[in-house]
Amino acid sequence: MSTTLFDNRKSVIHRLNPVTKLIALLAIIVIVFAIPLWWVAGIIIVVIVVPAAVISGSGGRLLKLSLRILLPILLVLFIVQGLTFPGGTTVIWQWGIIDITSEGLLFALGVGSRIVVLVLASMLLVLTTHPGDLMSALSERGMSPKFAYIISSTLQLIPAFRVRADSILLAQQARGLSLKGSPFRRIKIMLPLLSPLVLGMFTDVEERSTAMEARAFGSTAKRTALIPVPDSTVQNVSRWVLIVLALAAVATPIVLGLL
Amino acid sequence: MSSTATTPADSKKTRNRIFIAVGTIIIVATYLYLVVGQPTDIAASSFSQSGLIAIAGYVIGAILLAVGAIHRLPTATVAMVPVAIALNIVVGQLVSVIGIPVYLDSIGTVLVSALAGPAAGVVTGILTNVIWGLTLSPIALPYAVVQVVIGVMAGYAARLGMFRLFYLAPVAGAVTGFVSAIVSAPISAFVFGGATGGGTGAIVGAFQAMGNSLLASTTLQGLLSDPLDKAIVFTIVVLILAALPSRFRQRFPFMRQYNVFGRKAPVLKDATAAAPTVES
Amino acid sequence: MIDLADVSYAYPDTDHYVLSHVNLKVEPGTVTGIVGASGSGKTTLAKIISGFIPHVDGGELSGSVVVDGATIADVTLSEAVSHVGLVIQSPFNQISGAKFTVREELAFGLENLGVAREEMAERVTAVAELLGITGLLERSPYALSGGQQQLVAIASMIIMNTPVLVMDEPTSQLDPGGTRMVFDVMSSLRDAGITLVVFEHKLELLREHADIVHVLAESQLIASGPSRAMLADPRLEKWGIGSTRFTAAAAAARDRKLLSKDAELPVSLTDAVPEFRAFAAKKGA
Repeated sequence: MSTTLFDNRKSVIHRLNPVTKLIALLAIIVIVFAIPLWWVAGIIIVVIVVPAAVISGSGGRLLKLSLRILLPILLVLFIVQGLTFPGGTTVIWQWGIIDITSEGLLFALGVGSRIVVLVLASMLLVLTTHPGDLMSALSERGMSPKFAYIISSTLQLIPAFRVRADSILLAQQARGLSLKGSPFRRIKIMLPLLSPLVLGMFTDVEERSTAMEARAFGSTAKRTALIPVPDSTVQNVSRWVLIVLALAAVATPIVLGLL
Repeated sequence: MSSTATTPADSKKTRNRIFIAVGTIIIVATYLYLVVGQPTDIAASSFSQSGLIAIAGYVIGAILLAVGAIHRLPTATVAMVPVAIALNIVVGQLVSVIGIPVYLDSIGTVLVSALAGPAAGVVTGILTNVIWGLTLSPIALPYAVVQVVIGVMAGYAARLGMFRLFYLAPVAGAVTGFVSAIVSAPISAFVFGGATGGGTGAIVGAFQAMGNSLLASTTLQGLLSDPLDKAIVFTIVVLILAALPSRFRQRFPFMRQYNVFGRKAPVLKDATAAAPTVES
Repeated sequence: MIDLADVSYAYPDTDHYVLSHVNLKVEPGTVTGIVGASGSGKTTLAKIISGFIPHVDGGELSGSVVVDGATIADVTLSEAVSHVGLVIQSPFNQISGAKFTVREELAFGLENLGVAREEMAERVTAVAELLGITGLLERSPYALSGGQQQLVAIASMIIMNTPVLVMDEPTSQLDPGGTRMVFDVMSSLRDAGITLVVFEHKLELLREHADIVHVLAESQLIASGPSRAMLADPRLEKWGIGSTRFTAAAAAARDRKLLSKDAELPVSLTDAVPEFRAFAAKKGA
């Protein structure tokens, strides 16, 4: 009933406190961007992301979803930078006016390895964390309940919105309207389709806010939560370790004089 | 005045102002550092660091802005934001499927900014990308700042009365598109190496082949599409505003205070039809 | 429990009064029905009793509104909602959306008030039992039928321990099964000591559940009486409310001298059965 990619399983990874996973994700991203060596990203994938994905049992879905996002990006990245990288001088392959430079490919490898980590690690978080738990965990740590409300509510609103959009589209097509022709014509057809959808959703807002107010959403009391988010000392310690590691990664290139 | 305006202690108000100010400074400083401070993006090592600075600076700045802004929003506005985000995402996806060469993924953000002001636009903007990241692709997350900029610009455009005349809105949209192209370019360049999609990647490649740097190429690529896209979005928003019942519009203090839509609305007949008793 | 004295109201930017000089007194622990044609101001009156007017909608409100001892205009909305709850038409729009299970959805209001976890859990269990929705607690609020959603909406209100619950056409978007569910819980609510004010079109069901019925017409509460007498009143036609088929059939029978002139007209099937029995017995004799 919700649009999220959450893959409902009972693994250890799924049961981790969402904040632990979030901090791990941020630490990984900081590390791969701070240390400009493509094989650091490679090690992180092999040593952390892949084992975590296997343990979670969501590895198959992770692979499928990530490939769909990554393949076009990586393809474009290697072609475009291999061919047109501004710093490219060493031509390794030439055909007519097309030449591929090794600098371009190395550059693409560096950027590409970081994108792969970014996508895989974020996807793993999304696949193994129920958005409701993520919101509860962040609210417990002082995030405004308005953020939690907006995010959870949008996730559940989108399917309802799609259903309405589809029914309007179907109704129009049933009346013989086709979505073919020039982009301009398509925009002209889209606009009247969108307006009943949009107006309906926005005028509903009045009722929704009434219902929320009636349940004390505007209260200034310190909020409590019905269901506690599980946590442990081990996780608390790991979070601090991850933060320290990320900071160390930022300092490493400076200390080693890589810059 | 809504009773939910919690009249927070002055210290809290000051704190929120500081968040907004610091967030803005970080975003501007990040951009300036990446553009002015890094003349060469050839050395791979400093390039990677630039990627980190681009993500960190923009994300932290956007979060600070959103945290500072959200406390100002009354419940009526908070209840509207999810609808606006859903609008951004559903229309954005629909358009990409149909194959129109624009994005139209910020209609909700601009609409909220026009109805409820820049603070509401900021919150809608950043959360649009957070939810895009949760539901479709994490690639959207580093770009959150762009929607934040759109929210702020649209909010101030509304204050300046750009939505009062339907031919001013596309102008404001184009200016917003110009700024958002500039702001998003470092992300496209330093984080994604110019490769955010097939078509855009090819255009970036073409600009690079003409001898431009990567950052210059992603900036030029953005300038080709964003101003047009935002001009269309702003125009659509004017049309939606005209079609919304005037009683709904009048519920928003921002709309009333700055007379965002103007008394002489272009499509007044719709408004009067929906609420015949409202004087116009 | 509720005392409205000389209440008049006009929406912002309008120059006509939707309600003028409305007076209403409601006794604690009763079920009050309010009927009125579309556009007669039912939603407006519901919002006035529950404090959303003037706190959210603004506009010009005069007269005094006292609910559960609180003068609604003088307290904040957050306080007003602790005296009186509001259930609206659309079940869909009442789901907070912030929660992914019914259990958490019920607790949403209590979380906002900062109620302790153990107490919340107890109140969730108690309310779910009262409304017979214990079996739905682990489901997604969006995966329920309209009637079930409306029960969840009612439960989400009464869990706040408000002594008064206003329902604004709670069944107008429900199918017959869902409508039944909602009316059935009204007796449980009354037994739990909650004062109910129900704005409703469905006269037969109102007859079965309301103690007293008021008629909203010509911007006023124009008439009131015990549910059977009021809902069978021939003036309801004039006020655009109509009558049930039982009332109409009995009235036609009376016109043809088949029923005595001073016979009390039935509103629901339950009212009509004894009448028909008596009539059949007379025929048989």
